[in-house]
This record gives sequence, structure tokens and C-alpha cells, in this order.
Amino acid sequence: MIARPIAGAPRPYRFPDFEQHRLANGLGVWLVPLPDRELVSIHLLTDAGAAAEDEAQAGIAALTAQLLVTGTRRLDAADFAETTERLGIDVGSESSWDSARAGFTALGSKLDDGLTLLAEMILTPRLDPKEFDRLRSERLNDILQARADPGRLADESFLREVFAADVPYGRLSAGTPETLEALSVEDASAFHATHYAPSVADIVISGAIDPSRTLAAVERHLGGWEGTGPGHRTIEPRQRGGRRVVLVDRPGSVQSELRVGHLGIHRGDARYFPAMVMAALLGGVFGSRLNLRLREELGYTYGARAAFDPRRAPGPFTASAAVQTEVTVDAIRELIGQLERIREAAPTEDELAEVRDFLIGVFPLRFETTGGIAGAIEPLAVYDLPADWWHTYRDRLEAVGTAEVHAVARELVRPDEALILLTGDAAKLRTELEEADLGPVQVVSAS
Amino acid sequence: MPQIPIERRSLDNGLRVVLSRDPRAPLVAVNLWYDVGSKHEKPGKTGFAHLFEHMMFQGSANVEKGQHFSLIQAAGGTLNASTWLDRTNYFETLPGHELELALWLEADRMASLLPAMTQEKLDNQRDVVKNERRWSVDNQPYGSWDERMQALVYPEAHPYHHSTIGSMEDLSAASLEDVGEFFSTYYAPNNAVLTVAGDFETDAAMTMIERHFGPIPPNQELPPPPDMSIEPLLGQELRETVPDQVSLPRVYLAHRTPPFGTDAFDALDVAADILGSGRASRLYAALVRTQRLAQDVSVFVFPIVGGASMFVLWVTARPGVTTEALESATLAEIDRLATHGPTDADLERVRNLHAAHFAGGLERISERADRLSMYTCLFDEPERINSELERREAVDAGRVMDALRDSVRPDNRLVLTFVPAEAAS
Repeated sequence: MIARPIAGAPRPYRFPDFEQHRLANGLGVWLVPLPDRELVSIHLLTDAGAAAEDEAQAGIAALTAQLLVTGTRRLDAADFAETTERLGIDVGSESSWDSARAGFTALGSKLDDGLTLLAEMILTPRLDPKEFDRLRSERLNDILQARADPGRLADESFLREVFAADVPYGRLSAGTPETLEALSVEDASAFHATHYAPSVADIVISGAIDPSRTLAAVERHLGGWEGTGPGHRTIEPRQRGGRRVVLVDRPGSVQSELRVGHLGIHRGDARYFPAMVMAALLGGVFGSRLNLRLREELGYTYGARAAFDPRRAPGPFTASAAVQTEVTVDAIRELIGQLERIREAAPTEDELAEVRDFLIGVFPLRFETTGGIAGAIEPLAVYDLPADWWHTYRDRLEAVGTAEVHAVARELVRPDEALILLTGDAAKLRTELEEADLGPVQVVSAS
Repeated sequence: MPQIPIERRSLDNGLRVVLSRDPRAPLVAVNLWYDVGSKHEKPGKTGFAHLFEHMMFQGSANVEKGQHFSLIQAAGGTLNASTWLDRTNYFETLPGHELELALWLEADRMASLLPAMTQEKLDNQRDVVKNERRWSVDNQPYGSWDERMQALVYPEAHPYHHSTIGSMEDLSAASLEDVGEFFSTYYAPNNAVLTVAGDFETDAAMTMIERHFGPIPPNQELPPPPDMSIEPLLGQELRETVPDQVSLPRVYLAHRTPPFGTDAFDALDVAADILGSGRASRLYAALVRTQRLAQDVSVFVFPIVGGASMFVLWVTARPGVTTEALESATLAEIDRLATHGPTDADLERVRNLHAAHFAGGLERISERADRLSMYTCLFDEPERINSELERREAVDAGRVMDALRDSVRPDNRLVLTFVPAEAAS
């Protein structure tokens, strides 16, 4: 028998150095030269996410982002697709709550062509009414499809039920049937004119680039972009109600999709690092408490996890698992039991070390690709994090101790206030749930 | 495209080793392909190769249950495994200085899995896998498409007739004896390929590989490969309608094709991209953007090597569009491509898109390692990773037309139509 090997010394790794510039029109420019790469990634970020839209226009941020890849003043939808794809450029454009992002990863030789087309797309979009109608109807169809998909149904129902009725985070960020019906291409045009402005935008370029040439190219293509965007809209999330059970009926389901949680933290929370370590220990890695208990000991599920979703304002904290119908109530008890347990006592030093060592050790692996590195710059630009964020990141994880993990667990994990939402077969589950004393039970229909 | 460096070695016990050094990042990928997949399963044992893969994480002589995951993760690594029709792969990516940990863990379970096996562990992972099946197939809209398609495209006696996840009934029947027999038969160094890619020193890595894998005895009685012979065409059009918990109907079209590795397969791979990859693809442009019949389209071939592969399309109907209209519009686009061939613009588009995606994939050493293992396990030719783009670029308009006319034809087609259950009753 050969004993477990002892590792040699690690080779030092440093997050790549990057340059930060700002054009006269306010556009932030982040350049990450990676001389040994053949690819280049470009992400153009704008403060034009769903948080920026009026509630009555829910979905306009997502539709506007998607509309940008359907043509420019010069090129119609078919020509734009053909022109970009013949260059090997697969342009994406989408939005989240806090930003809109357009960009691509391509061979480094395509940087100039790609930048030209990206600038054309942002500055002079075609905003074609026919394409807008198509995208809107595709989104309505997607809502129909989500209702039939138990995982998506649970995710969306959880957000709707966990936030108070007037909190934007509770609605679908890509729009609801009611708001979508009322939207027109003029709304997209107005949203674009207001929110796609260089003063609230950043471009991140990583990979096979020469920084000074690339900066000059950005200046050439985007230096003439004009406008000033509004400041961030403030969202103040509040929870709807306390501990309760909502069962979304999906007859015939052989599994229940569980979502258990409550309000979490925002991206700038001072407890960010201990919260991330705590969530990983609870449900963020294969060897987490939730996965070991629900999967590796009980066999109730293919996987159980828990995570925060920090946004500019506090997003949800959610523990989740898809469990076979027959064990649903016991699985909920087990899941809640793990939320209680992490509050009751600090983890051991060994348990903490395993998770912390993972989060620190996996650092270089997260930045293997040009797209991964460009993506890592995004939170710096979107949330105004300090420029040395990644350079101090591992030290800040290293500093998290057992007492601190216990303290954030007591503050940030609150099973007594948790919404327990599940999609499943009410005919099989209703009575058992009502008798289980998990909280008041409400049964709602899926559609 | 820069060439991927390749060094081939083999151990006396038959383990094939592929080394691909790239010290740019301080990371190393370890990847093992075992030449065993669901096609090797016996009747009544469907799903077993995959269930067995789960058992490989339940400990071995010197490793506790769960420790494989915890040791790799504490080292800053990621890991997983997967099972498919032809093979089972196991892989870790971790900081380069921890290479020997991954090799030791992989060798320990290749050498000595069985002493750690218990009925309790088997029962636990059987439950986990049944929940994996519920999650990915039984409780998922359109979830049974793959299983139904394989059952109809491949005859009952063919090893691709059943899907990798297997049936609940067969999973229930799996026993510890099955674990023992499967392990002794297939989990031997002479039935595996080990690839190491990334930041390592060749001599040091070979010393470690020899130290950990060298003492493992080969299986001198590896069974012959299963009989994969099959008629090249279905010989008829098959149709099946499936009522399911879906909101929108979806039509799947599947065709028997020459297997992965053939020139015809490469041509069909290019045809699939022309038809379905990107917003300028033929089917997206016609059905999604212009005619607005479809919510989405997808076209692909299965990279499998036994007897026959499949050329598959799916199109999801918009509300109010009949599956008949959708099917005929889809077939019209395929016929147009088969009859008139792709344009130079089509070929340029899919060549450049593919080159970018290929380079993007190979940025990850884990992906490089997996492809090297694949080409070695399936073709005994890791160098194919460096000729993959050339082979695709050699596909011209004539080959696309020939391949479509040979395989994508009515007498070789399964039409599998999913419809909302309430509408069907």
C-alpha cells in the first residue's frame, strides 16, 4: 500500500494585472492583457438591468438587451447575424437585475472587427418593430414553458412569494404576461435612449490584446458615444410574511422541488466573505452539510444546496433540492434541521478549513479562460468594488474563522422566518404537509 | 490554431497514458476514460454502468466514503465523472503541485474498490441515481426524448437500444455481486486511458503514474467488445406521439447515420451547424425569425462509435402552430440544403464559428484532457485533437449534400412528437 502523497510547494498565482481607463464621455475601460492567449473576450456592461425599469414596464430591460443583436441601422437582423457569425463572432446580449451585458469571445485576430460591430450595435441599434414583436412573443412562450418545468416553476414561485408584493425582486425580471402585453418597440427605444449611456457603462477586454492599441480602438469606436444615464434606482427588499408553507400544485409530479429561504445580503455587505464561506459549508460544495445529509446519507435527492444571491440590494438566500415525492415532508424537516444546526454551534476548525481551502485553492481555476477573467472584472465595474478586490480576495477568505462563521449563520440564516415553497403533487402532499406543523400551508395552482 | 502537445506512453499492465504539458497556469487536469459504458450492460442491468460510476465515489481500500471529494476540494480542485453510451470518465482539475493526490485517489479505486463496498452504500447510491432519473427524465418536460429515441432508432438487441440512465426496475435489481463482477471485468488498467494535461514535469509525472498505477494487475480476460452491427438505415419512417406535461408541442426527428469518426459523420456535423447553429443558421432564420413557426431549434449528431450514430433535430412549436406545419417546414429546409447544397457563406460561417468554439473549449485543460482521452479510448489516436479542425474544414458542399441524401431521408426517420397531455386526451 502506498500512503497518501504529500503535496509539494504550490506555484504562486496572481490574478492578472489590468489597466483601468476612463474616456472623456465617462465610459470605463478595463483592459486585461494576457499575452499567451489566442482568444479575446469583450464584455460591454451598462446600468440597464431590470432594476432600472419601471414596474409597469417589467421586461423592457431584458427585451431591449435581446433586441440589440437583431440588427443595426446598417444591417438588418439577417445581415447582422450573417456578418458576425462569418467572422466567428457569436454575440450575446442579456440583462440581469443590476446590469445589461453585450459581448463575445472570439479569436484575437477578430478584435477590431468585433469591436466595430459591438459599437454599431450599441450606438445605432435597428430597434426593428418586427423583431421586437417576435422577441416579446418568444418571451411569452417561455413563460408558458417555465410553468411546465418544475425547477423553473419553483424558482419563480419562490421569488414571487418571498418578497413583499411591491418589491421588484419578486416579479420576473424578464417580464410578466401582463407587462409584456403592454410593451412596444417605442418603449425599448426610450429605454435604450435613457439607460444605454457611456456615463453608466464599462467595457472589459481580456485576452490577446495590446493595451495601448486596444485603448485607441475603444476610443475610436466608442469615444463618440454620448449621453448621461440616471443613477441607480433604490430597491428596498422586504419579506412577505413569516414562516409558512406554499405548495404549488403540479399534479403527477414524482419529485417535489423544494426552495426554502428568506432575504439574504447585498453585494456590498461587510459580512460578504464569512457569508460566502458559511453558505459553501452549508450547501455550496459536494461535501456540504446539506448534500451529505440529504444525498449521501438519506438518498432523498440527486443534490441539495444553499446560496446567497447578492445584488445591489439584498437578494434571496435559498436552500434547494429536488426530492422524491414520498419523502417530501421528511426532506423539509432535514433541510430545516441543517439551517438550525448551523446556527446552534460553530463548525469545527477542520470542517471550516476544508471549505475555506477549497475556495482559496480553486482561485486560479476560476480564471482559466479569457471569458472567466473578463467576468471577474464585472463586479468591480458594476458594484464599484476596490480595484485590489481579487488581489486581496484569498487573504480575506483566509481570515474567516469558526466564530465568525457561527456569527453570520446566527444573523443570516433564519429558519423561523423561512418561506418553505415547493412544487409537487398536492393530492399526495397536502394532508401530510398540513399535519406536519411546519407553518401555515397554502396550496396554489401552477398556472 | 496552435498544436496541442502530445506524448504517449504505456505501462506494462496496459494502461495507456497521454501527457500534454502546458505550464501557462499552475493547474493540472487528470482524466481517466474507462472503455465501458451503457452499451456494455447486460439485459436486465440497464443503468448499471452509471450506478457503478456513483459507487466509485463511495471509498476504496485507503479512502473513506466521501473522502475522494473532500481531499480534492480541500486541495483547491474540482472533480466529477460521467457515464455515456460508449464510456465512463473520471476527472479532476487541481493546482499542479497536487497532481499526485489525484493520481493516488484514481489508482486506489482502480486497484481496490471492492473492499470498501457495502450494501448500505449501494442502497444509498441507488436512491440517489433514481432521484437523478426522476429529476432529469421523469419529472422533466420532454425528459424521455432520449430514451424513447434510442429505443426506436436501435433494434432491441442492439447495445444502444437503451439509454444510460436505465430503468427504475433494473436499478432496483442491481446487487453487490453485480458491482463486484463489473469492477473485476472492466475496471482494469488495460481497459483505461489516463491523460494528464497542464502544469507538470514529464519525468516526475511518469514516475508518479508508475508508482501508483504500475502495480495494478491487468484483466487478462477482457471480454470482446459488444456486437454493434446494425443495418445502416431504419428502412421505414417511424412515428410516435407522446402526451407529456409540456406547454408547447415539440417535434424530434432522428436518423441513423454512420458513426463518429467517419467522413460522413464529419459532413453531418457540418450540416447540423449549417441548419441549427447560430442566428444565421438555416432553420433559425426560416422557422424562428422569418416564418415564426418555432420557439427554438436544435440540430446535432451523437459522437458515438458503435455501428450507427444519430442525426437529431428538434423544433418547438409556437402556440397555434400545428406539429404537421412545423415538421413540413423543417423538412423543406433540410431538402433545400440537400438539393442545392450549402453556399460558400454557409461553409465560412460554420467554419469560423466552430473554430472559435473549439478554441474556447480548449482554453480549459480539463476539456483538452477529456478530448485526448476520448480520441485515445475510441480511436487509439490522441493526435486527432490536432486534426479535428482540418477534418471539418475538408468538408465541402458536395459532401454535405451526399451525407444528407444518404442519411437524412424519409425511410430512415423517426418522428417523435411531444404534445401537451391535456390536449391529447
